[in-house]
Formats: sequence, C-alpha cells, structure tokens
Amino acid sequence: MELSRRQLAGVILAGTAAAQAPAPQPPTTTQSADTELETARSARRTAAQIIARVPLPMTVEPAFQFKA
Amino acid sequence: MAAIAPDIFFASISELNAKLRSKEFSCHELTQAFCDRIERIGPRYNALALSLRKDAISKAKDVDRELKRDRTRGALQGIPYGVKDLLAVKKVPTTWGAKPFATQVFDYDAHVIERLDKVGAILIAKLSMVELAGGGDYRTAAASLTGPGLNPWDRTRWSGGSSSGPGAAVAAGLVTFAIGSETSGSILTPSAFCGLTGLRPTYGLVSRQGAMALSWTLDKLGPMCRSAEDCGLVLHEIAGVDLQDPGSAARSFNYNPKYARKPADITIGYMPVDFEDGAEPAAQPAFRAAFEVVKSLGVTLKEIKLPEFPYGALVGTIIAGEAGSIFEEFIRSGKVDQLADPHQIAGLKAMLDLPSTEYLRAMRVRSLVKAAFHDLFLNCDMVLAPTRLGPANKAAEPLDAPGPPTKSHGGLIPGGNLAGLPALSLPCGFADGLPLGISLLGRPFYENQLIAIGDLFQKQTDWHRRRPPMEA
Repeated sequence: MELSRRQLAGVILAGTAAAQAPAPQPPTTTQSADTELETARSARRTAAQIIARVPLPMTVEPAFQFKA
Repeated sequence: MAAIAPDIFFASISELNAKLRSKEFSCHELTQAFCDRIERIGPRYNALALSLRKDAISKAKDVDRELKRDRTRGALQGIPYGVKDLLAVKKVPTTWGAKPFATQVFDYDAHVIERLDKVGAILIAKLSMVELAGGGDYRTAAASLTGPGLNPWDRTRWSGGSSSGPGAAVAAGLVTFAIGSETSGSILTPSAFCGLTGLRPTYGLVSRQGAMALSWTLDKLGPMCRSAEDCGLVLHEIAGVDLQDPGSAARSFNYNPKYARKPADITIGYMPVDFEDGAEPAAQPAFRAAFEVVKSLGVTLKEIKLPEFPYGALVGTIIAGEAGSIFEEFIRSGKVDQLADPHQIAGLKAMLDLPSTEYLRAMRVRSLVKAAFHDLFLNCDMVLAPTRLGPANKAAEPLDAPGPPTKSHGGLIPGGNLAGLPALSLPCGFADGLPLGISLLGRPFYENQLIAIGDLFQKQTDWHRRRPPMEA
C-alpha cells in the first residue's frame, strides 16, 4: 500500500472533480504509542462513517464470491 | 573478461538480449558486472536487501552454455533482474522489509520467479521495501528494515514505496528490470518518483503465490522497467494461470504489439483539472506538455468525470480487514512492536478492532465501484491522469507533511486498485529536477493496448531514457 490513511483521508475530503481546498493536514509531531493507537482507531471510525454515507441497496453483494 | 560499458546498465531488455546473442559479452560477464554494481551502489540508496551473486553467476553460466548451443528461450534470457523482498526465494532470507521477519526463509521460489527462471532471466538481488508493504499505514520513509529508500535522482528524496528498492535499483541501472507489488500505489508511485515505466496488471493476471499477502483482493505483482516495451516483455513471461493462487484470473497474456489498435481508434478520457492547475505548481508545465504529446499521437481525447466514491476510505478499510486477518497472530504476539514505524504499529493493532460489518460494507460498495468503472469504460478505452500530483517527497520528512495545495481528484490509484484494473505509469518530465509520471488506466486485461500507447508516447519523448546524475 502506498497512500497513507492521512493522505487518503485528504483525498476523500477534497471531494471529486470539483475544485475544492485540500483537507487540513494533522500535526506531524511525535506521538506516544497510545496516542498513535487512538489516532489509528479514530481514522478507522472516520473511514467507516464516510463509507456509511454511500447509498447501498440491500441487493448489492460483496466484491468476492465463494464457489463450492 | 570483456569490460561492460556503462551504457549497458541502462540498456533495454531487447538491446541486452541482442548483445548476448551476438556474444558481445557473455552472460557470466554481464551478470558479474551487474552484481558488482548493485553491491557497490545499491547501499547508497538503501535499495539492496540481499545480493544473490553466487546463484546468479551459476545460472549465468548455464545460460552461456545454452547460448553456445543456440538454445534460445526468449527476450529475457540472460537478463539480470531483481525482486521486491516480499517474494520468496528458496533458502535465502525473505524479510518482507521488516525486522521481525529478518531471518525468515522459505523452501520454495515464488511462482513469478519460477517463470522467470524457466526463460533464463538472471535473479541477482532481493530489493528493499517498506516494512510489510506499508499495510499498517506508515508515516516515514524510514519504515523499513534497510532504512529509507533513497531516490537516485536526489538522495534527499524518497524513492517511493512500498517497492522502494525496485524503484531505485532500476532507475540507477542496478538491474535491467524488477518485479514490484502493488496493493494501492506501490508499483506506480516509485515508478513515477524514480522516472521508470511501471505496470500494475489486472488483478489476478500474475500469480501471487510466494509473495507476502497484504490484502488478498488488492495485491498484484508487476514489472518495473525503463520502457513500456520492456514491461510488455516481462509481463509476457510472468502472467498466466496458477491454480495455487486462489485469485488467479486464469487468463494468459501474450505481448502482441502488432495487434494493438491504431491510435485513431482509441479514446482516452481525462479530467481537465489534472492538466490545468490540479497538480502541484512545479509539476503543472510537465503534465500539460505530456497531455499535448498524448494528443499528438492521434487518439481521441474526451473529458470524463471519475465515479464519485470515497476511494481512500474503501481501500483503507479493505486492507484493514484483510491485513488484520493475515497478520493477526503477528499483531497479537506483540512482535508488531518491533517494526520501525510507530504509526504503522498502531495501524496494524487498530485493524484487530475492525468490525466485520465495516469490512463487508466496504466490499459491497466496492461492487458499485467496479460497476461504475465498467460504465466509464463504455465511453472511453483508457483514462489518462498524473500518476502522482508532484515529485518525490523529502526522505527526512513525514510523508504526511503538508505539501503544496492541489485540486486534482487523486482517486485514480485507489479507485483503479479497487476495481482491479491495469495501469501503466510513464515518465513524462521533471519538476525541480525530479521525475514525474503520467498513468494510463485501462479496462480489465487491456495491458497490450496500454503498453502500445505507452510505447508510442515513448517514441515521441525521451524521458524514459534519462539517467539520474549519479556519482561514479
């Protein structure tokens, strides 16, 4: 994987084809392990909230298939 | 022993193969020269994980015996190459770029290495990488067992990741080509940053067997070379069915440039902002000039709109679900704390908290992404965009340090990977002395056509022939 979650989060917040201001970047200071973990968990939650906003009909299945 | 001229280290696959067949030098001599070079210069860029000189020389002598009997095996016979150190090579360490796996050894070769061995290519080195291919979300270029991958064009800059070593090694003429991997950007980014031509194939076209898994449904292996033609020649040998890879597309690939469609029959979609003021300011002139070159090829250019999805969030969630499972034992054991990048350590640990419903929702939205790209390609044959919006980051700074403002969408890498689509990154100029790349994204299994347009672009430009200003 190449793009960091912060960079990907920036892509999301920057919107799509319309020109928008780039997302503000988080501070780049060194953090403790616990803070890093909470930051990572927070990024996960943010990603989930963003994905939850995508309209998703019940009939759409995941992009993998099991075959017997 | 014949002296190997410096130009040889930057020769194309076809040029080298012709010189071997005409016996301008032997494969032994060529391999020895490349081994000397990568051992001497590779550490300058932290590109070398492990030299495989002994086996390489032995293999080279076998090739010389074959060539003496006029037993030819194709374009890659006798060509020295390297692989990202997530590919298993029998009985030598395969470190995955990570301290906890520094002494890991497999008793088999990865499938792509077996394929390349059968056609006589000479594996001379394992090349460095970001630890665990950056799956936990790394923040610094130093997130690697071998230190930060440094860019041969400017050693204060990063070579890109996670295929850092392949990027630097090909750019510096330490190998003729390399095999890298991409989950989301790891072939295309170092290719763009190091001035290479890199091909991310359609998901499933190249077997993942023997490669470290980061994300079962996103991982792809592909060639990093100095030309589109070389990418075609390598893909021709590494692509194909492998029943040991559950994700194998069960498709073959034959590099057939003469059957490519004429440019006049090709429609290339683009987003105007990418070639106006969307990229970093220093990069904009090069991207505009590259756009004009593409236009001059005779293709039809068409404005498009990229499907609107939260690509970054989707890729991140899918990787979290899959990598979290792949590395679950590793994380729970505490060995994860031995990694170099604290941000990556935290990212991996956080993966274990991901609810299955979030992963599955992301995979369901991914079905919509695939369908939307399918519809996009009903109206164009490929999409053109900057590979990255500016040149390589500074190696000593955090990778998420604020850069110049950009307006471009930036979704082509994550979106293309989510949909399993092939992409070719081509060098297209420089910004502040550092290489830039543009990408062509195609529909599934469209590699021949991408390579054909890439080859035409490279007949009109010479960016792919430029060499970094290296010390002797």
